Amino acid sequence: MITKFKDFINNLLPNLFSKKKNIKLGIYGPPNAGKTSLANKICEDWLGEPLGNVSVIPHETREIQIKEKVTIKSGRKSLTFNLIDTPGIATKIDYEDFVKLKMKKNLAKKRAKEATKGVIESIKWLDNMDAVLVVLDSTKNPYSQVNLTIIGNLVARDIPVLIVGNKIDLKKSNLKKIEDAFPQYNVLGLSATKGHNIDDFYKSLFKLVK
Amino acid sequence: MYPDGSEELLKGCECGSKFFFFIKKEKLNEVEELVSNLTTKDKTEIEKDVKDIIGIKNEDKPVVLDLESIKILKPGQYEIDVVKLLKDKMLIYRLEDGKYIIDLNSTFKKEKDL
Repeated sequence: MITKFKDFINNLLPNLFSKKKNIKLGIYGPPNAGKTSLANKICEDWLGEPLGNVSVIPHETREIQIKEKVTIKSGRKSLTFNLIDTPGIATKIDYEDFVKLKMKKNLAKKRAKEATKGVIESIKWLDNMDAVLVVLDSTKNPYSQVNLTIIGNLVARDIPVLIVGNKIDLKKSNLKKIEDAFPQYNVLGLSATKGHNIDDFYKSLFKLVK
Repeated sequence: MYPDGSEELLKGCECGSKFFFFIKKEKLNEVEELVSNLTTKDKTEIEKDVKDIIGIKNEDKPVVLDLESIKILKPGQYEIDVVKLLKDKMLIYRLEDGKYIIDLNSTFKKEKDL
């Protein structure tokens, strides 16, 4: 009887705590680093459907996108979270950059305005996150004001961070440069579109979201 | 341009608008130069864009914006001070003796219990 009671309590307590709140996992980073590609990969792998559109033109994601109750599994463990894909954070948004990519002027201006709104929205949501994946393009220089500011602010807020160096399938990829730029943080390389190193990524998520 | 505490800030500009930008004295020259390069159409477009970005719907209340964290150079061209945005947690507000404050924390939806 006592054993059964103990089992009951042992089963009940973790469930109580796990249902205490929904874990919010945010995806942050500069534009075109592959945040939505990674969100899509996670959702396709575990829910069988993508989260949002991706594009070669920067600032495709201009509103917060949420997929609730994503459950991933590794062996006997499982982890459930709300996945929150955020608009890319940039310090300069110029419609002329979109026009150069063959976008019509009025649409480019609209995109610039919405992208600016998106940056503000991303920042406003930061405090709501329980853990954050900072997605960086491993073919680009990681030493940027945006990257340093986002990561610095997450740490200052005690929000657990995993830096994801995306696009490792590309020739120009240099993950070591990201590791050198952020030596005190966990850095994991992957390719969201090709799925390279995705299993290690899921294992890292369990460590990130405890 | 109207100094702090002007009647126009409450009643509206002679042009009919009740929408103002707050400018620090030391930045007056810089802003004047920037504004002098803008056409009336540009100014109208910028005003509309700012209202869209921060979600102002009530046209009747006077609004004074302190837009230090976002610089709008021309319609469609924005410079964002990410450090300041993260630090201040408040993009825009102001009206000394004022009558209206916009705090972006309240203009943006926060889903704390997602």
